[in-house]
Parts: sequence; structure tokens; C-alpha cells
Amino acid sequence: MSRAGRLAALAAVVLVASAHIGSPDTYFEGSAGPYRLRVIVRSPGVVPGLAQITVRLLDEGHARTVSVLPVYWDPRTAAPPPPDTARIVSGDSSVYSAALWLMTGGSYSVQVTVAGPAGTGTAIVPVQAIATRRLELQKPLAVGLAAVGAFLFLGMLTIVRAAAREAVLPPGMEPDARRGVIGWVAAGLGGVLLLGAVWGGRGWWNAVDSGFSRQLYHPLASAAAVRLDGGRAVLRFSIVDSAWRQHRVTPLIPDHGHLVHLFLIRDGLDAFAHLHPVFVDSSDFDATLPPLPAGRYRVYADITRESGFAETLSDTITLASPAGAWRMSDPDDAWWMGNGQRATGNVDKLADGSRMTWDRSEAPLVAGQDAPLRFTVAAPGDRPTALEPYMGMAGHLMLTRDDGAVFVHLHPLGTISWAAQQTFLLRGPADTVFGTVGRRLTEMERRGAMTGESVGSTVSFPYAFPRPGHYRLWVQVQRAHRILTAAFDAEVQ
Amino acid sequence: MPSISAAASAPGVPAPRAAALPWYVPAVLVAATCAVVGVIWDISWHRTIGRDTFWTPAHLAIYASGIIAGLSCGWLVLKTTFAGSDAERAAGVRFWGFRGPLGAWLCIWGAMAMIVSAPFDNWWHNAYGLDVKVLSLPHLILALGFTGIQLGAVLMVAALQNRAGGEARYGRLLAYGIGILVLNVAILGFEQIGFSQNAHNALYYLVCAAIFPILLVAGARASSLRWPATTAAVVYVGVTLIMVWVLPLFPATPKLAPVYRPLTHMVPPPFPLLLIVPAVAVDLVMRRFGTGRDWRLSALVGVSFLAVLLVTQWFATIYLISPASESFLFGAQRWNYNSLPGDFEHQFWDIRSDPVTPLKLGFAALLAMTSSRVGLWLGNGLARVQR
Repeated sequence: MSRAGRLAALAAVVLVASAHIGSPDTYFEGSAGPYRLRVIVRSPGVVPGLAQITVRLLDEGHARTVSVLPVYWDPRTAAPPPPDTARIVSGDSSVYSAALWLMTGGSYSVQVTVAGPAGTGTAIVPVQAIATRRLELQKPLAVGLAAVGAFLFLGMLTIVRAAAREAVLPPGMEPDARRGVIGWVAAGLGGVLLLGAVWGGRGWWNAVDSGFSRQLYHPLASAAAVRLDGGRAVLRFSIVDSAWRQHRVTPLIPDHGHLVHLFLIRDGLDAFAHLHPVFVDSSDFDATLPPLPAGRYRVYADITRESGFAETLSDTITLASPAGAWRMSDPDDAWWMGNGQRATGNVDKLADGSRMTWDRSEAPLVAGQDAPLRFTVAAPGDRPTALEPYMGMAGHLMLTRDDGAVFVHLHPLGTISWAAQQTFLLRGPADTVFGTVGRRLTEMERRGAMTGESVGSTVSFPYAFPRPGHYRLWVQVQRAHRILTAAFDAEVQ
Repeated sequence: MPSISAAASAPGVPAPRAAALPWYVPAVLVAATCAVVGVIWDISWHRTIGRDTFWTPAHLAIYASGIIAGLSCGWLVLKTTFAGSDAERAAGVRFWGFRGPLGAWLCIWGAMAMIVSAPFDNWWHNAYGLDVKVLSLPHLILALGFTGIQLGAVLMVAALQNRAGGEARYGRLLAYGIGILVLNVAILGFEQIGFSQNAHNALYYLVCAAIFPILLVAGARASSLRWPATTAAVVYVGVTLIMVWVLPLFPATPKLAPVYRPLTHMVPPPFPLLLIVPAVAVDLVMRRFGTGRDWRLSALVGVSFLAVLLVTQWFATIYLISPASESFLFGAQRWNYNSLPGDFEHQFWDIRSDPVTPLKLGFAALLAMTSSRVGLWLGNGLARVQR
């Protein structure tokens, strides 16, 4: 493959390589004891690497200290190093920042501890250390290095020539013609050796580069296929990766009560489904499809592994004309179909007659800056209403860029997997057998740890769009035992 | 190859006055020393604390080498070119219209290489991750840089010695410079020969046979001292021992996970090889057989070096890996914060996968002879250098 082709392939990898897709940073909103906080962890894109963590305290009053400590998911017999104290970011006394040293690829729990007048509290933020991008050599640096390299090359040849020509002559004696020839011969030989060294160095660099590229993160390999079963369209989603099938990675754990969250998005973004397949065996999952319109669909599968590693697998399918009556695989399944037009307003009418409003100002959405993802639901007649938890959460937000380069599944907790967070809380030092923590988590969910009370009429999601473009957002909430889906469009600069 | 006397003075050329050691000599020798001290310190830093920045004292010591050598030699060539006496200008070589001692140009080259390695290394970390391997391309350029400075320092001292008729103090300084180079290659071979636990596998002796004779023999041929190889080995052992004893005096704790050992002070480098013993053998053989017939000499020196090294290290390391050796004198608390405690600490490594066999020893002897032969060539060149 040519260098340009290789770079293009790598750029493509960067687009898909993250726990979500095209969105490698971690956003979290929650509590550390009595302190509400919002945490952002900027991925370094390499392993080992330094991630930047920013902690914003959302309540009034100053904390005495904010400290951060990344702990690898499998600590074995090790003790953690002392936490780092985050420093107040200049100009804003509620924002703290620090660097996280993520030395091993995989899943980390970042312990964010806040100490202040109200006591001390700790929040657990799951973070994944993965290599997601290949850094280009910037042109100014490349030119500078090439210039100094040429200087060093010619300088060494000059030194070799001088050494052979005149270094052994007594001071004051001018080299004769013979020594001049010796000098040039030595410089020539030195040049050949140096060129060999440069060639070897180039080979070394290329080997390191290709080795690094091979280690860039890839989600587990997967495949989706549709079949007709008794007149109904059934989607089979399979994890086909050898690492998975040979049990070289930790098993799946349920997140919001489901091992797999499956999303189908039609090209053109005018049809969407959020399904929860039932598992046929440890690698294959079946979901009965709702009557979605024919067309090509991107399929995303969100999974969380027992190590706390959450990732999004993907494939594409093509659906024929709508199938017959839908018998949902799971009561939490839901789907939505638009009219093919881009939504322009901030209000969307829901299937039960209620309305969802995106509370945002006229200010443009800017990539990399906090996005105001806050939504309010009003009952018909603009009467206040109360939402119910939908799979344990006040709401779910799925967003994608129209070209598929970004796909993210958000909750009010942020981009993190709730199940991943729980594994870090549940894991004990003696949990060395695969499946132990997963069983504990399943038992906890069975006891109803995820069920909740009414969550008010407003739901918000901490996030910043990773890059400019046209986005569509689907917000899912539950009201009166009914799952409701609203869609909004966003232009991000 | 004609026989060369290290003490031969160029006829008709004034030797430097005995009382006046040129100012740049201590500067370049300090620069050469800074680099090896900095690298040992840096390795200890990574083994104790784990995380680092560009501005750690260990890194500053390494880069101080480039700054001291670059500035002093830069000033030397400018002064020689534009304000030097005829004698000073005559004692230099030409370089793009400038004049200066050959070693000074090598020092300047080394300083440039070190400087360019810094932004390259920074980019490398951003592109491929923080250091997990000692040997990376930018680190190699850095090592070439400070090795160039050390070679430059040796060349400058050798030229002064040769012009001064083999004056003993230059001979000592030359042996010192060779000792720093010995330490340098010992550090580069850290993973293969650094730990005493390697001393019963074959790779250990192959690496030693390749890297040490070339320097010890070159020094023995070029220096005017009576025991030059031994002096160089004393420098290597001495500087390493100082680091073994001084580093653990500094409190430090690990700052990266996983922490398997709750360290409280800097980890010392491993106890040095007892290179003084084979170096004595090198000096004795070199003195006994003198100059001339260098091929025969290289065979004798190579075999002698390897035989004495084998006996010395084979038995000395039995004690050095034992729990009894874990003391301040030989280095206590000697393992990385992130190395899981285990019985490997008191075992010889790779003795089944890479045992010392007669065949491998034979190959090591060939390497030692070749290394010695190259050392004689280099030593002959050093003994002749005048500028």
C-alpha cells in the first residue's frame, strides 16, 4: 500500500476507533459524596499516554482539594500510587485540572476525590486507555529536523575528512595531495556508512510506525445479518472476533439490564431503532425488527465487558420492504421514523401527544465546547409532567453525524457505561475468576438497584460534540409506561 | 601497521606548558561525565518514580552535557578561528572555513545531535506513547550525541598528550575519558549485562566480549600510563559505585501504577562488573607483547580478557545475587517499583534457554579478539592524533 493509501486507511481507523465512535473523550456528571461535579477526560490517543482530566464543581462553595487517581481494572497485588492533586484552572475557581498517566492499554477507574467543608467524597469515572490515532509529523518540525539532520550528516563527513586528512599531521604542516585524496576517500566511505545508518534508521522508524498502527484500537469484529422467521424480520448480531470466541477477553456484563444495546440508523437518518436482542449463545444475539422502511442501515452494538471496557461494535445491513407485525424481543425496544426532512426547530411532538423541547439558546454549537443538551417534556396542553426511568436512566440520547463518523450513546451520567462504573465498585481483590463480578452485577440489577422514582420533566446530558458537521439526535424517555423518542437536528461549527 | 609510540612528540612543535591545563579539557571531561551520570540517574528515576518530565534533574544532567560541550567547544573554535595565535590555529583542523581541534568539532556535532533529539523525542512520545523502551530512535540520536562528546573529549586529550610528549597527566585524563566510554557502553548494554543475574548465560559474555575490549585495548594502546586499561576500569567501577551509594540517599516514592514495591528511596544501579580484574590482564598482556604483530596481540588480549572476565564474574555474581549482598554496600532495595517480587531475584536468568557452552564461549572469544583488533586500530589512531 502506498504511503498516502496507508495514511488514508489510518485516518479511517481514527474515525471508528473509540469506545463510542469518533468520540474518544470521556464526559461524566455525577456526585463525589456531597459534591456534584462534571468531569471531562481528554484521551491522549496513545498508550502509554497522558490524559488531561478537568473537574468542574457544579455547586457553590470551594473545595479544599480535588485529587485524581487512575486505577487499572486488574490491580492484582499492587498498591496504587498516591493520587495527584488537581490544580485550579486559572480564571475559574470551580474548575480543577490534572494529568492522568495511563500506562497500560485497557480499562481504568479514575477516582475523583473532593475534600471540602462538607466532608470528603469520591466519584468513580470509567476511562479507557486506547490508541486511537496516528500523529502526523508537522511540516515545520519535519523541515527543522531535516535541516538539522542534513547539517549533522555533512558535518560528520567534514569531521571524517578532516580526521583522515590532517588530524595526524603535526601542527602547522599542510596536508599534501596524497592526504587530500585520503581525506576524500575517508569522507566517501563515511558517507556510505552514514547513508546506511540513515537508511537503517528510516527502516526502524517505519517498523515502529507500522507496529503502532497495528496496535491501534479496533472494536471486536462483528457481523449483522437479517433473515425472515415466520414472516418476521430477525436481525442476528454476532461477535466473530477470535479474541472473543477464544475467551481471551473478559465476558459481557449487563448495562441497564441488557448485555447488548443495538441501534439501527437508516442512511439519511430518517429511521432509528433501539433494540435489545436476546442471546442465542455467547456470540450470537437475535432481535426481531420493527417495521422499518427498506434501505441500508448502520448497525451499532454497545457492549460492556467485565473489565469495565465498553465499546461499540458496528456493521451494516440492507432491509427489504417492511416486515409484518412486530413482536418485540424486549419491552425496552423502541423505534422511530421521520418524514425525511431535517428538523429545524427545538420542539418535537412525541407519539403520546406530549412535546419535547430542546432548551438551547440561539448560540451556535461549537465542537469541543460544552453542548447545552437539556430537554424538557410537557404533557399535551403544555401541562407539566413527570418522566419515569427508562432502563434505570432519566433518558437516553443517541447522536450521530450524518456521515456516520460519530455515533455516541449518552445518559445523564455522560458517555460512561453505568455497568463499567459498577464493576469498579463491586470488584474485590480476590475476584480473579472471569464472570464473578458480572454475576454480582446481574444479581444487583435483579434486586432492583436500577429502578427509580420519577425523574421530573427535564433531562440533560453532559457532552461536547467532537467535530463540526450535521448531527441528528434521538432523545428517548419514558412517560406513563411508554417509551417516547424525539429527534432533533444540530449544526455544529 | 607501523609501530607507534604513544609518547612520540611531534618534532619542532611546542608542547603545552606543564602547568597550564587548557581550560576546555575539564569542560569537555565534565560534559562527558554529566551524560553518563545523568543516564544512570534517569534509569534510577524510571525504576523508582516512574513518571517524568523533560525537566527532571536527571534529564537536565544529560542535556547539561550537550550544553557544556557545545558552548565550550563553540567558543574554542570561534576563538581559535578569529583570535587564536598561530600555534593555536596550527593545532586545529579546518571545518567550513573555521579552525579548531578535531575533538572540538566532534563535541559540537554531539551537542547538535543532542539538541535535535529533544523535540524529536517529544514528538515521538506524542505519536507513539511515553517511553516503554529504552532504545528508541530519538534516544539513539541522543546517545550518539553524548557518545560523540565523549569521543571528542578523548580526541582532544589524546592530541594534547601526543603533543606534550606523553605527559602523564594527559595519559591519566585520556584513561579517564576511556573509562567514561566504558561506562557508556555498559549502560547501553544494561538489559544484557546490567544485572548480575545474567552472568551465567551466554549472551552476557558475548556482549561483554564485543563491547569492552575495543575500548580497553584502544586506551591501553593510546594512553601513556603504565596501567591505562586498569585505570579506565577503575573509573567505570568508581563512578558506578558512587551512584550505587549516593542515589539511595535520596528519598523518592513511586508515582505510577502498578506499585508492587513500596519504595522509599531512589533505586541504585546494579553493582558494576568487576572489570578491573580483566583490565589488569589486558594491561599485562599489552605490556608483555608490546607494539607490533597486532593481529597476534589482539588474539592474546581477547582470549585473556574473556577468560579472566568469565572466572571473575561467574563466581563474584554468585554472591551478588544472594540475599546476603542486599546491603548498602552492594545496593539494597534494588528492584523497580513495578517488578513483582519473586524468586527471580536470587536466581541466574536464562541459564536453560541460553547456557554457557564451549561453542558459545568460542564465539565470544572470537568476538573479543575482533573487538581487541579494532581497539588496536583505534588506539593506534589515537596515539597519532596531533590536532
